[in-house]
Amino acid sequence: MDRDKVIDVKTGRDLGLMVCLDCHKVLSVPEDEGDGLCPRCGAKVFLRRPDSIAETWAFLITSLILVFPANILPIMRVDFMGSQEYSTIMDGIIYFFKEGSYGIGIIILTASILVPLFKVIGIALILLSIKFRWRSWLRHKDLMFRFIEFIGRWSMLDIFVIALLMATVDFGFLTSIAAGPAAGFFCGVVISTMLAAISFDTRLIWDAY
Amino acid sequence: MSEFELHEGFIVCPECDLILRESSVEHGFKIVCPRCGTTLRSVVLHSPEKVIALALAGLLFFIPAIFFPLLTLQIAGLEHSGSVWDSAVKLIRSGFLFPGIMVLLTAVVVPLANFIILLTVAIQIQFKRANRITARMFRLYHHMEEWGMLEVYMIGILVTIIKLFHMARIIYDTGFFCFIGLIVSSVGLILVLDEHRFWEEIEQQGRQYVIASEPGKELDEVTFKRERDTLLG
Repeated sequence: MDRDKVIDVKTGRDLGLMVCLDCHKVLSVPEDEGDGLCPRCGAKVFLRRPDSIAETWAFLITSLILVFPANILPIMRVDFMGSQEYSTIMDGIIYFFKEGSYGIGIIILTASILVPLFKVIGIALILLSIKFRWRSWLRHKDLMFRFIEFIGRWSMLDIFVIALLMATVDFGFLTSIAAGPAAGFFCGVVISTMLAAISFDTRLIWDAY
Repeated sequence: MSEFELHEGFIVCPECDLILRESSVEHGFKIVCPRCGTTLRSVVLHSPEKVIALALAGLLFFIPAIFFPLLTLQIAGLEHSGSVWDSAVKLIRSGFLFPGIMVLLTAVVVPLANFIILLTVAIQIQFKRANRITARMFRLYHHMEEWGMLEVYMIGILVTIIKLFHMARIIYDTGFFCFIGLIVSSVGLILVLDEHRFWEEIEQQGRQYVIASEPGKELDEVTFKRERDTLLG
């Protein structure tokens, strides 16, 4: 079933070449296999990113911890004629579905809940598959990782919406909107999952080949 | 013998480490890694000129898009409007320092820095003045790019409108239209930027080369070529 392994391929490591991840310059691996600075752009060049897996796990676990307060605590407070109403991320989504605006409900649901969840599970799967040397589905894993990298930033959507609501809906006693304690945790989830994706070296997926 | 040799004639896929032979790419074609599917080369004609044009356009839109009011709300005869800048400052003022700074960075500071960096780099390349500082700046852009989230903010504006239009009258202000202009220029920039070409130009135009094992040693082009030839054997 190993569909990936059809052709015999040579990698940079086989031929003693390594590529600068910043400017994509091809350099040869120094004899001690250590890292050095890229002569073209000055970035650190390495055969594989040092401590990539440990760093990725660290950021991943951080985000997993932050996910709970981000979803349980209220993220928004609506003041209307002296009464205060707190709502969590899920409340906001349910509100849209009850209103009948399913499209926007699905967008928020995807950006705030599904995307962070998918990122954490996806990266964890890739890390586990490297750890236990599962050699199948390499291309799919790489595709999934690139998708995770791409969608990472879209989780900030909810924070932007709340910030903009705060700026526009400000009518004193009549009605106003404020952020809730979950906002900080939610930003933390976005940053730590993005950093997890950045610190992962995709070439480690393909080393199983 | 230097630790690092400069290798011509190979592409190493940065995503999966596969080795490919370098070949020239015509406009309209691209080189795609056969193993992982990453696009390795894709030619944009007149990339520096296009980058200069779009970065200038983006910078022109920038101030009105960020500081002018985006939307004005009317509820029961009362009016209030807010801008991108207000949205970040309001968060910070009401005690949400961390989310506020994140909004400020991702929607204002990083996009502005990206526009300025790309404009400077493209001008230096266009006028054959690229140097080591150009390389440093372009590398900075490479790392900052994904932290600029203007498109996400744009969707945020649309969600806000949908959220509010049941309860209030919404007036679209100057800032809103300038923000659309800003989005068009920033998305356009990503499309017209030929990163490979930019790096090649930076390398060719930079007259001061440093061989990695001897940090700080500057060589003129003739010496560099001789050294490189001996290195490559």
